[in-house]
Amino acid sequence: MTELERLGRVDPPAPAVLDAAREVLWSAVAAEMLATAPSQATRPAVGEPAARRAADDIASQPRPEDPGVR
Amino acid sequence: METDGDLIERSARGRPDAFVEVVRRHEVAVHGYLARRAGRQAADDLLGEVWVRAFGGRGGFDPARADARPWLYGIARNVLRAHWRATRAEDQNQAAEAVDPWDDVVDRLDSAAAARTRELACAIRALPSEEREVLLLVAWEQLTPAQAAAVLGIPPGTARSRLHRARAALRPVLAGEGT
Repeated sequence: MTELERLGRVDPPAPAVLDAAREVLWSAVAAEMLATAPSQATRPAVGEPAARRAADDIASQPRPEDPGVR
Repeated sequence: METDGDLIERSARGRPDAFVEVVRRHEVAVHGYLARRAGRQAADDLLGEVWVRAFGGRGGFDPARADARPWLYGIARNVLRAHWRATRAEDQNQAAEAVDPWDDVVDRLDSAAAARTRELACAIRALPSEEREVLLLVAWEQLTPAQAAAVLGIPPGTARSRLHRARAALRPVLAGEGT
């Protein structure tokens, strides 16, 4: 690793930070899903346990490393 | 495995929740991009805004692109610039001006950095901002020059030229290293 790369190293974010940011995104996702036609298959999951379970499943998967994270 | 382009296209065609997988893939890297430039606290605060902006703008993403990182870094860059303008305006109680965020980065590093690292930081600070951006996208975010060009909205050849000049300027400080 070069000195320049070392200069850019940062601590990885806390899981709660990533969760909070994803929660903000989920609000936007849910709003768009709610705005779609009720006949669409995705409609029932919005804002309901299925959507949350999907988010939790995704959150529980291992995340790729940031090349600059120590 | 679906590419980022596949997922983003699917998210734009009736499955908006598919976008969350793109976020999962790149959230640590995008947070790192923000933290390296604005500090950890600001990165924590701004990450969600990056996702919302990206989600809202996903219709403009070219699904032929397998890797969404250059696009996401471009959005993160815009979020950072807005953050710096707002911060500067708040601090000075005046209209935002062009901001050079590297001052903040050097301040962040000074407390813990050794003398040689500070020397390197100062050399980077002395670079023209457009050269510095290309250099750091390649060195810190591990992008290719072409991907860095996509982040910045410039031709790939321009990015390569800027990278070449930045490396040449830093060569005396980085003597012996393969930057």
